[in-house]
Amino acid sequence: MGYFTDNFTTLYADGAWIDMGMYIGAGSSAPGWYTLIAAVMMIVILVVGNKDEQDSYDKHK
Amino acid sequence: MEDQILALTEQLAAVTNAAQVTNTMFAETYYFLSIPLMVIIHAGFLLYEMGQTRVKNVLSSGIKNLLAFAFTIVTFYLFGWWFYWALPTFPYDLASGAGYMGISGIEYANAIALPWGDSAQYMGPNMGDHASGVFWGAFALFAATTASIASGALIERIQTVGFVICAIVLGSFAWVVAAAWGWHADGWLVTEFGFHDFGAAGLVHAVAGFFALGILINLGPRVGKFNADGSANRIVGHNIPLTVTGLMLIIVGFFGFLMACIILPGEGWSWYADGGTTIYGTPMTLSALAFNIVLAASGGIIGAWIVTKDPFWMMSGCLAGIIATASGLDVYFGSHVIIIATVAGMIIKPCANWLEGFGIDDAVGAVTIHGTIGVFGVVVLGIFGSGIPGLGAFAPEGTVAISIWGQFVGAVVMFLLGFVPGYIVSWLVHKAGMLRVPEAVQIKGLDPVKVPAQAYPEAMISSETEA
Repeated sequence: MGYFTDNFTTLYADGAWIDMGMYIGAGSSAPGWYTLIAAVMMIVILVVGNKDEQDSYDKHK
Repeated sequence: MEDQILALTEQLAAVTNAAQVTNTMFAETYYFLSIPLMVIIHAGFLLYEMGQTRVKNVLSSGIKNLLAFAFTIVTFYLFGWWFYWALPTFPYDLASGAGYMGISGIEYANAIALPWGDSAQYMGPNMGDHASGVFWGAFALFAATTASIASGALIERIQTVGFVICAIVLGSFAWVVAAAWGWHADGWLVTEFGFHDFGAAGLVHAVAGFFALGILINLGPRVGKFNADGSANRIVGHNIPLTVTGLMLIIVGFFGFLMACIILPGEGWSWYADGGTTIYGTPMTLSALAFNIVLAASGGIIGAWIVTKDPFWMMSGCLAGIIATASGLDVYFGSHVIIIATVAGMIIKPCANWLEGFGIDDAVGAVTIHGTIGVFGVVVLGIFGSGIPGLGAFAPEGTVAISIWGQFVGAVVMFLLGFVPGYIVSWLVHKAGMLRVPEAVQIKGLDPVKVPAQAYPEAMISSETEA
């Protein structure tokens, strides 16, 4: 879960930052896991949201 | 002497580097600022849609619109962006390989547009990448715009989650395929047919408009819209000033939308070092847009006024004027724009009435304004723009020019890419019981049934709801 560097000096070369992800989990499998979790969250939210919506309609049919 | 030359060379290198940094930061800022401008489109659609809704359904319409925005953005990140880069050559190349420019195909998309693996570095903060995020952001807002376009047509009787599913298919798949084919230098509609759609009349507006038509067929009209003999009743929204103001905000946002359609010079991803272009690499300037957008907006208002005298249709005409000229905003002359936009403004109400005659309840005229006028704009460019080179100076030899045939083929493809997915996904959602709000709930009002808030708690109570 750590950050990929503890020193930015080596990542600045020839007058520019190098082309590299600078987020937490860069260079590891973490982004894939975050993406998977986010996708599952969205699907679950849609399922739960739809159930709530159908319940609302059922009460007023 | 040699020391002086060496010193000058170093100074020149430093100045060149500084100029490049400035150019890069300007380009990043330019596209970044187009994003909040496009958010204004959504503020406009929100007001437009809520104003056209009766009091008993106002907040439900707002919720639907907000969720269309949010889910389209998220899913465009998860998979929509990938389709844009993966599919330009498909199905001409069934393997979906790279096109002439080398910036397309499944392999390329896998390298830059997936939020996992090695390509994740281009789907999040990156130390040296000033382009991916702002381009993605602009495209994500294009995607959300398609969902908002469809949203208004469906108000007061579509279920929220069912609509969100349709919006995801539209914003993160259907229009993206259209963009890959017709709004990418490697797209087969561009390379094989010379299809030209600078401002996305076809690939955003027509696709979204006809996607809405596909949904409307399965969704059916609002309760009380049509009489037993087939004649239509006019269901009046609760706040026309809100709607008209919303439409004006959409126009404001269009400036951001259209400025983001220009490829700036001087970057690694630019067509040229010293001149702006369209996405096709053909010449383009912001000055051209300044002339043509405001003239198109004005022509559309005037055309709609002479036919309808109705402020709702006048502002819809304003939209229609821009959409009708959007494909060729880079090549039309100002007076030419006035003519096309005025005609567009004049025909929208008759076209909407014609559609209503088939029992289609399009609550805001989205199918006509975006779908019909989008196709009209694409084809009109073929009539007046035939022979204009379809791609810029770095295009392969024998590149096809703009033609009536190419624009016609593009218009048909845009219609199909909108209507077919819209019909299929809404049919599936309908079969799952998630499309149409029950009639008893429509009569009572959606807000009292499923929204824990009131739009106007003290000032306005819907007589229909009370009844």
